[in-house]
This record gives sequence, C-alpha cells and structure tokens, in this order.
Amino acid sequence: MTPAPLTALAQPGELLDDAAELTVEALARACRMDTDWVIARLQEGLLQAGAMHAANPATWRLSSATVVRARRLAQLEVTFDADPHLAALTADLIEEVAFLRRRLRHAEASRGSHP
Amino acid sequence: MEFKDYYQVLGVSKTATAEDIKKAYRKLARKYHPDVSKEADAVARMAEINEANAVLSDPEKREAYDALGRQAPHRPGQDFHPPPNWDAGFEFSDGAGAAGGPDGEFSDFFEQLFGRRARAQRARSQHRETPGDTPWGGTVPPSRGNDHHAKIELDLLDAYQGAERSLALRGARLDETGRMVHEERSLQVKIPKGVREGQLIRLTGQGSPGMGGAPAGDLFLEVQFRPDARWRAVDRDVYQPVAVAPWEAELGAIIEVQTPAGALEVTVPAHWKPARKLRLKGRGIPAATPGDLYLELTVTLPPAQNEAERTAYTAFAQAFARFNPRTTTGA
Repeated sequence: MTPAPLTALAQPGELLDDAAELTVEALARACRMDTDWVIARLQEGLLQAGAMHAANPATWRLSSATVVRARRLAQLEVTFDADPHLAALTADLIEEVAFLRRRLRHAEASRGSHP
Repeated sequence: MEFKDYYQVLGVSKTATAEDIKKAYRKLARKYHPDVSKEADAVARMAEINEANAVLSDPEKREAYDALGRQAPHRPGQDFHPPPNWDAGFEFSDGAGAAGGPDGEFSDFFEQLFGRRARAQRARSQHRETPGDTPWGGTVPPSRGNDHHAKIELDLLDAYQGAERSLALRGARLDETGRMVHEERSLQVKIPKGVREGQLIRLTGQGSPGMGGAPAGDLFLEVQFRPDARWRAVDRDVYQPVAVAPWEAELGAIIEVQTPAGALEVTVPAHWKPARKLRLKGRGIPAATPGDLYLELTVTLPPAQNEAERTAYTAFAQAFARFNPRTTTGA
C-alpha cells in the first residue's frame, strides 16, 4: 500500500516532570493494565507515588518516571508470569545496567572512541 | 498486507501444545527483550514475538487463525486478504491490550484480523444490514485510542535552550469508509527547556485513533541524551571535565569555561587537590529548582616542543628536586 504523503503538524511537547500529576487511571492506561494492578504495586512499594497520603487511590498522583518503570514491570510480569517482586528486582537491575551503560557511553565519548 | 506465520515466528510446529508455545515465547522474549538484547532489530522482533504469542496463546484466536490458514493457505510475507466471514463461528475479544501488558502495538495483519479495527469493521458491516442506520451509529462502543511510546535522542544543550525536532511517524487510521489506511507523517515537536534524561514528553492525541467518537491516545517520548565528550547529566546535575595548566592548578587562577549554560568565568582555588570538583550552583539543567554544574578539574601538562620549553621543564625539575610523584600523594 502506498503511504499517504507526509503532513506537517506543529505541536508543543508537554514535559511530564516531577510536578506532573498522573492519576492511577492514567498510569494503568499507559501500561495497559487495570487500576487494581497499579494500586497493588504502589501499596507494595514496587512503584513510587509522589503523593498517596489519602486512602482514596483516585487522589494519588504519580511522576512520569513511574510510567517507564510501570510499563517495564507490566511487561516482565505478563511475559514471564513473574512474581511482582521478582519483576521489580529485574527492573531494578535493568535500571542499574542502563545507568552504567550511559556512564560507559560517556566515558567512550570522552576518550573519542565512541562509534 | 503481508501474511504472518505466527508458528514460524515462535519456532514451533502447528501441533505445539500451549506449554510448548509458552516456553518458546519466553525463550525468545529473553533473547529479544529490548532492555537487554544486543540484537539490532530487538524492538521489531519483540513486537513480532508478542503478536504471535497474543494469537497462539489464546485458544479462540489460535483456532480462528488455524481455520484461516486452512481456508486460504499463504506463505509468510505473501500478499494477503482475509476471505469474507473468515472468523464466522469464532468469538474473541479486543486484541491489542486486552491480553494485558504494555506492548500491544501490532502489525496490520493482526489489526485486520484480531484488533480493535477488525472488531469495529465487523460491527459496522453487521449494522449496515439494518436499513437507515449510519455506518457508525451506536454499534461501536466508544473506546479511547491506545497510547504509543517511543524514545527520542536529544543533546544536553536542548535541555538548556529548548529545541524543535521533526519526528517521522508511521501509523494507521480509519478513513471515512471505515477502511484502515497507512499514514506516514512528520511531526514537528517543540522540546521544552528543562527536559531530563528518562523524562517523558507527552504529545496529546498523537497515539492511536479512538473508536466510536472517543479521543485518540497520546504519544509519549522518553528522553535520552546523546553521549557528548564535553559533559554528561545525572538527573538535573551536569558534570563537565575541565583541563587546567599546572600553574593554574597550584597557584589558582580565573579561567573562562564554555559550559552548556554559556561562557562562564570561574575561579580555580590555589593548592591543587586530586579529583577536585567546582560546583556552580543552579547552572545545571534549568527547572524551578535547577540542578548544579560540576566542573571536574584535571591537570594537563604542556608538551615541551622546543629548546626554551625543555629548559623550562629542567628548571622546574631543579626547583622541585625533592618531589617524588611515586611516593607523594598529589598531582
């Protein structure tokens, strides 16, 4: 099928920083899981919420960094039928590896040997 | 659209048991997991594997897929159009996302047969049999489009200054007759100042189209910084190696440094200490509470390239005759 011609759209990106207020429902949608799954991971400390003081999860607010981690947890749990804590441990290790790879890439770039 | 042989994708036979399929899927998912795989096509392969698993691990979808293969045998990659009523007698739910998990961005083949669009088209064709109805009236329950996720690579300077980037996106949408059409488009994105590595930029309405009048999903871009020999960011703080001459390091000096925040005059304190860092408060990535900029000082020796310079080094050595760098902690 021939692709349609390119169209130009201009759109300002909205930065989801620590102050961004994602709801539990929005996070559930981002990782295609249900809200109970998100609430359970928050209550077990496998995901961190910016503010979950109130008893009502509808009022909890999450930072955008949680989205990436939540998607990773969901993927690990669904793919491998993984225990949530095991998935969280794996996610911790993946995050650590990503951090070290960034340091390595920077070190290689500093030496001028980066591909 | 191209025919997909899901059995071939997972490397299992058509008689594979559910357990065989699960084992094959997990083995491939480990190999091609985008966070750990070193394979160049890991993301595409993982999507293909997820899609094959979504069909073969669901008994109803697998049965319908097998029946389709019997009705209209095809080779992988061959141009394919499903025969009318190929799915008569089978019932399966919404494809993408319904099985759970974040990776529900499937191929045209999957979407046409098992996805939300297929469901909508089935509902539409059934509804059109009733005279007087509009194509979409009431038969398709409103459903918000799926969000899409992608990564975007930026320079650290973009975080200081903001930027505009052009993204090439490929997607599908329903035309006015309800047919799925492919669309390639370029999207101009304004990158806001203050972006950090790992943060998300949301582009509202740039995900999958909604169904039955519901809004489209959003596109989320996860930010990565390109490696740059000049500096690196850790959260909002920025680290920059800065070379100083031996006399600047020991005697102290005011030096000019080109930083991501612009050219700055910096005071190097006298009396060199190894691994010395100078903190410039608030000169890291801009934000309501900006990060700090750390200048990591290293001493660089000037090469002696002529007689005068060699003489200078000799005089230096004589002046520090008692200094032994192998017994002294220092530069």
